[in-house]
Amino acid sequence: MSSRILLSVLLLFAVSCISVEVCDESYDSEVIVKFKTKQEGGAVDSTISAFTLYGIREGADYSLLYDSVPASGFTAPLDPGQEASMFVMQVNGQTDTILIYHQQEIYLISYTCGFANRFTLDHLESRGGIISGDTILKETVDAEDETNEEHIWIYF
Amino acid sequence: MKRMKNISGFISSTLLVLFFLVRPAGLSAQDTLRTYGPRFGLDLARFLYILADPSEVGAEFSVDFEAFRNIYPVLEAGYNTISEDRDPFDYSASGTYARAGLDYNILRNKDRSQHHTITFGFRYGMSVFNHRIENIQISSSYWGIYRPGPYENDLTGHWAELVGGMKTEVVPNLYLGWSVRIKFLLNPDMDPLMVPELIPGYGTGGESRLLGFSYSILYMIPLLKK
Repeated sequence: MSSRILLSVLLLFAVSCISVEVCDESYDSEVIVKFKTKQEGGAVDSTISAFTLYGIREGADYSLLYDSVPASGFTAPLDPGQEASMFVMQVNGQTDTILIYHQQEIYLISYTCGFANRFTLDHLESRGGIISGDTILKETVDAEDETNEEHIWIYF
Repeated sequence: MKRMKNISGFISSTLLVLFFLVRPAGLSAQDTLRTYGPRFGLDLARFLYILADPSEVGAEFSVDFEAFRNIYPVLEAGYNTISEDRDPFDYSASGTYARAGLDYNILRNKDRSQHHTITFGFRYGMSVFNHRIENIQISSSYWGIYRPGPYENDLTGHWAELVGGMKTEVVPNLYLGWSVRIKFLLNPDMDPLMVPELIPGYGTGGESRLLGFSYSILYMIPLLKK
């Protein structure tokens, strides 16, 4: 009887000690941008019927993040190790380049999963003239941000 | 003749045992001389830890002394290193540590010359160490793998411990003993980037409370008899 109790206690300890941490394949720190139109008394949501977006970095290949889809905003991973993340956007056939300037540091997610990037947004710059302005709502972007957060509004 | 030899051997052994067990009339246990001196110890459990986790290496020494009746000031010191090459980053830490405190013996030996103890006590621990993170890889589904430079920091850890254990004098002046301890980390936020994976003398930096175990062999230098 006592050996059964002892075995049960040992099993209890064994079970309580086993925990497996699951890591995602990538820990992207993604900026969440919403499209707005300025009106009297504030800004209202804006939807673009054909929106295309891709990120560019000198010497690197690019692939499309959005490909001619209706969109009221976009989510894009910020470029680590660069002074600014650069994206090319096509809005209903017109092209603009947007630069999101940021500072960056790394932070630990866990011993098992490793590190991720934390960005502090500084300012935006656009070169094509489509965007009329911007507001940074939340300066910090990291890999654990909720998907319903909004970091930037850009105005058309 | 052979039987006679066996009987005489039995008698002499019995007399020898009686000689040690039975005291002459009028000599009480309180009259027995007790030896005092510093007791130096080596934690043998550290070597078992190496078998369980070869990436972590360390050694620990201790010295205590019965300064007052049943009260033992204790000093423990050692070093720890860890070196792990893993997927998201390589980690290494190394440093020295010391703990100081008191043990109180609750065992009342019948004979003053006996030194067996069951003790409870406390410690304050401090570790001075360095930890280094290299080959950090942060993968992005769009931008590829980002490899920031190495990170290094010199740190100091502080913690408190409650300790319980026992020591048995297996042969004169030579002891075997074990102790269990619960440790409380006092400055868990010592590094803003990364909680140390190993605080020498304490353990995993991510845990604010930890249990510890040691099994030691100790030798007391018999300097005084009174």
